[in-house]
Amino acid sequence: MSKEINPATERDAAPVGRRESRMGRRNLIQGTAALGAAAVACPRYAFSQSEKASPLAGKSIHMQILGIAGWLPSKLGVDMSPEFAKYAKDKYGYTVSFSFADAPFGTLFQKAATSLATRSQEYNIIISDSQWLGALATPKWIVQVNDIIAKNPELNIEWWSPSIRTSYQVFPDGTNKLWGFPQVGDVYGIFIRRDILEGPGEADAFKAKYGRPLPTTWEAFEAMDYEDWTDFIAFFNRPEKGYYGLAAQYSREYDAASCPTMSVMRSLGGDVWDPKTGQVQGILDTPSNAHAMELYKAWLKYQPPGATNYFIAEVIDAFTQGKVFAAWQWVATGATMIPASLKDKVIVVPPPSFKRADGSRVRNYIIGGQPWVINAFNDPEHMQVAIDFMKWWYLPETSHEYLMRGGMPCDKATCSRPDFDGINPWNRTYKYMLLRSSDFWHDPKYSEMLSDQQDAFTGYYTGQIKDPLHALQWTACEQQKILYDEGTAAKAPTGACAGIRL
Amino acid sequence: MNERVRERLYHALLWLVALIFFAPVFWIALSSFKTAPQILAVPPILFFRPTLANYAKLFSESDFRHHFFDSVVLSVLAVLIAVAVSFLAAFAFSRFRPAATNFLMFLLLSIRMLPGSAAILPVYLMYVAFGWKDSFLGMTLFYAMFSIPFSVWILKGFIDGVSPRFDETGIVNGASWFSIITRLTLPQVFPGVVAALIFNFIFVWNEFLFNYIIGGINTSNIPVMLATGLSNGGGIDWTFLSSLTTIYILPPILMVYIFQRYLLVGMTFGTVRGEV
Amino acid sequence: MAGSAEAAAATSSRRTLARGPYRGLLAFLGRREVLPSVLIAPVLIFFIVWNTIPTLWLLGLSFYRFSLTSGRPPIYSGFYNYTSILNDSSTWFDLSRTFIFVVLAVGIETIAGLLLGLLFWGSDRLPGRRVALTLLFAPMVVTPVAAGTFWRLIYDPTFGVLNWFIRSLGLPAVRFLSDANVAFGAVLAVDIWMWTPFMVLMTLAALASVPKAELEAAEIDRLTWFQRLRLVILYHGKFILMLGILLRTIDAFKTMDLIFDMTFGGPGTATQLIAISLFRSAFESFNMGSSSALAVVLLLISIAFTATFLYVLYLRERRTADA
Repeated sequence: MSKEINPATERDAAPVGRRESRMGRRNLIQGTAALGAAAVACPRYAFSQSEKASPLAGKSIHMQILGIAGWLPSKLGVDMSPEFAKYAKDKYGYTVSFSFADAPFGTLFQKAATSLATRSQEYNIIISDSQWLGALATPKWIVQVNDIIAKNPELNIEWWSPSIRTSYQVFPDGTNKLWGFPQVGDVYGIFIRRDILEGPGEADAFKAKYGRPLPTTWEAFEAMDYEDWTDFIAFFNRPEKGYYGLAAQYSREYDAASCPTMSVMRSLGGDVWDPKTGQVQGILDTPSNAHAMELYKAWLKYQPPGATNYFIAEVIDAFTQGKVFAAWQWVATGATMIPASLKDKVIVVPPPSFKRADGSRVRNYIIGGQPWVINAFNDPEHMQVAIDFMKWWYLPETSHEYLMRGGMPCDKATCSRPDFDGINPWNRTYKYMLLRSSDFWHDPKYSEMLSDQQDAFTGYYTGQIKDPLHALQWTACEQQKILYDEGTAAKAPTGACAGIRL
Repeated sequence: MNERVRERLYHALLWLVALIFFAPVFWIALSSFKTAPQILAVPPILFFRPTLANYAKLFSESDFRHHFFDSVVLSVLAVLIAVAVSFLAAFAFSRFRPAATNFLMFLLLSIRMLPGSAAILPVYLMYVAFGWKDSFLGMTLFYAMFSIPFSVWILKGFIDGVSPRFDETGIVNGASWFSIITRLTLPQVFPGVVAALIFNFIFVWNEFLFNYIIGGINTSNIPVMLATGLSNGGGIDWTFLSSLTTIYILPPILMVYIFQRYLLVGMTFGTVRGEV
Repeated sequence: MAGSAEAAAATSSRRTLARGPYRGLLAFLGRREVLPSVLIAPVLIFFIVWNTIPTLWLLGLSFYRFSLTSGRPPIYSGFYNYTSILNDSSTWFDLSRTFIFVVLAVGIETIAGLLLGLLFWGSDRLPGRRVALTLLFAPMVVTPVAAGTFWRLIYDPTFGVLNWFIRSLGLPAVRFLSDANVAFGAVLAVDIWMWTPFMVLMTLAALASVPKAELEAAEIDRLTWFQRLRLVILYHGKFILMLGILLRTIDAFKTMDLIFDMTFGGPGTATQLIAISLFRSAFESFNMGSSSALAVVLLLISIAFTATFLYVLYLRERRTADA
């Protein structure tokens, strides 16, 4: 009778243990990864059957996830962890407990960076913004996951959209190096008050004014471009009735003004830099991009005064308190955007397409969302648990559970489910926009670059700077300098940059 | 104009000023009894049916009790240590006037000048080296250092005002310096001690940055909890903010009320020792 | 009298040394030569560990180019950080903005504090005086994060109380925090709201330090209010007031939390004070060398200011004392 390997038997754990003490650390990682891969190679649903014992069998391990405070999808990783604990116990034979350290989004990176700078394994898994991949990867604070994926093929997941990989995993842009996995996907959508939209007389009045039927279906909105939208929100801009047409983000905080602006720029065919050469000048400061800024600024007419100070929270307040008819917002905030008082009264549609010179109408927006990354300083045990956790997370059942609880999965399998759209009002837009959204710089210097860019953009939107092209030229100069100093950009800032002032 | 009417008007003016300064704080406190839509309502709602739900939610969170406890212990311990240590040093500066007194007093003041963001990284790395990250002792001692300059300055001023005759009498009677310091001088500078305690308590009570970066789960105080819980699902949790803030300012406000006399005398830096 | 005390001390110390090691140690520590050092030692230890070491580290790091997230080790670069900061025009803009902010804030807070302090002085018969003063001091006590967030709401054109009031007067809403022209004043106003009570406290203390006898004499001599203010009140209370101004100035220079929560330094750079730039440099760019250099520059400015201030203050004091 062949020796059945039962993870619960100590006898079988012992030989592995003896091997452990003789091996060096690297061998151990490879060994356990191989074992893990072998263990999982068995049919997924048969994990209750006997498997090769995990070297961690019988151990009790505590994992800490650092995530975003008050952000539901972020917390779901820990909320759902008891199920992983059960799974790990059954499948691998170890006990694991999780705790969630949360930090306010604006200072999350500081907390992560200070901890990682001391090579601490205080946080075993970190949920980070997609732009921080470069800042976390360059000093080798996080694990490059290519090897892990190679050894754990089930982590080689087919994503719903190619931009998932480039946005949440790849650094540097254009290479094949992967550093994390998507934890929550996020895109822009426009939330609309359906009850106002479908109010009596609206359809007729709209038709009379603009000669086109009032859009009321998702498909109708999908076909709309910037001009159509301008008419639309102008029509519903009714300050005398207590609500404005739109609320969007223009604030100096974090990337509030930048993301929508860059979305318009990209949709019009422009871009913010060339990732391969690190070149900004000549790419950012173009008339097309300046025009994009003008277009986005023009919509301030239909927004509440003070919209220039709006970020995510303010848009939520404006929309939920009925101060605006529509809101341009990250769909991951959907649960907060649609409280009980607005249940069934909101539809979520794609933001406008933009007409390019060649007549095509394009949407190329900035993607939001967060990947999670694994701390490179985890000891082998925690590393193994982290890998096991990831594998479990991307199982279809887990993804589905995550989706049902309000999460935003990114894998093709879950997103293709027939019931996907119906679960949340924003899901259809989410899937649609994921195919039309992409990220911007993953460079370690991104936050400096962003800060300068925010200064310039908010300066223009608040009227401090009159000429958008000038704002872009200043930004391009600053960013070129930053990238050149860092060594990413081949060319130095041009001589024209010497005298330029914001 | 009638004397009484003048006085009434004068008093009314004083109260008006006090209420104007208090108004935003009052607004926060009022909001803590409202629901979120009520807080955001325009025109602002002054009369409404108050709800205790926000507080109920706050108290039921075990984190709150833990963080509040941390805040209290950290603040109290830190200022007690700081004032005790400062008192000894102030006594030495005042009585013995070592050569470097003025220089050292100035140097102590320079502690306050360094912006937090600059000091934090070296302190963080130092703490990690000591193994003091997220340690109660580490945080308390750090906050004690924070509180020393102010305390030394106030206490020295007060001790300067206590006649050395007391010390001499004590020595003649065979008392040790220790009992002179604690039994003779300390009671006479009590207002200074109280002022130093309260002022520094308030600073430590409201401190955020160092607790956030150097502290961790075990030592988080309420400002950290406030900043963390502020954001909820992307939006600002107004009910959380208002209820937590209101609770949190109660202890310092009570202190300001109860010990007001001492505070006023204490801030004279020793030029007045009696009642104000 | 002094001689006998000395003699007594000398005898007693000889006696105590004979008493055994523990007692002897205590007595040794109690000796006049040793005691001051013992008393000052704890404060010195605190100072050296928590202040000197970090400052020296900061100073050292300012001569290197080091980005925490670059993965590369620090590179020695001499004064590069200093020259690049001082050559950067935005540094000077931030500094001048900060300078204006400090002068206006401390100035207005002092004047308002002085006026209100004088107003509250002699209000012993005010019913509920203690409560009124407590309410007045409340702004100092509120957590800055909360104050900043709520003031943001108060200033909001759509949801804010202030704009509701302005609109009900028929005027268009004022974009307090999003209009570059107004934002600076708006955050300044919040700082003034928060810290004027501190200056009121200092004024009341300063007024308390004026000898009652002189006040009465001034009244008997029928001096005008202004003369009384100048010759008696300010003359005696000056020291405490100046100390209050010094403390407030040092703190105002470091203002960050309050403003950051309201405007994040925006719109554009309208409210970007130097402490905010420092925070950004240290915590957004993780440019440790550059931020350390900036910190050293700020420290030097603070020290220079304080030294001058104290020197003038003590000079005046000594002159008046000698007079």
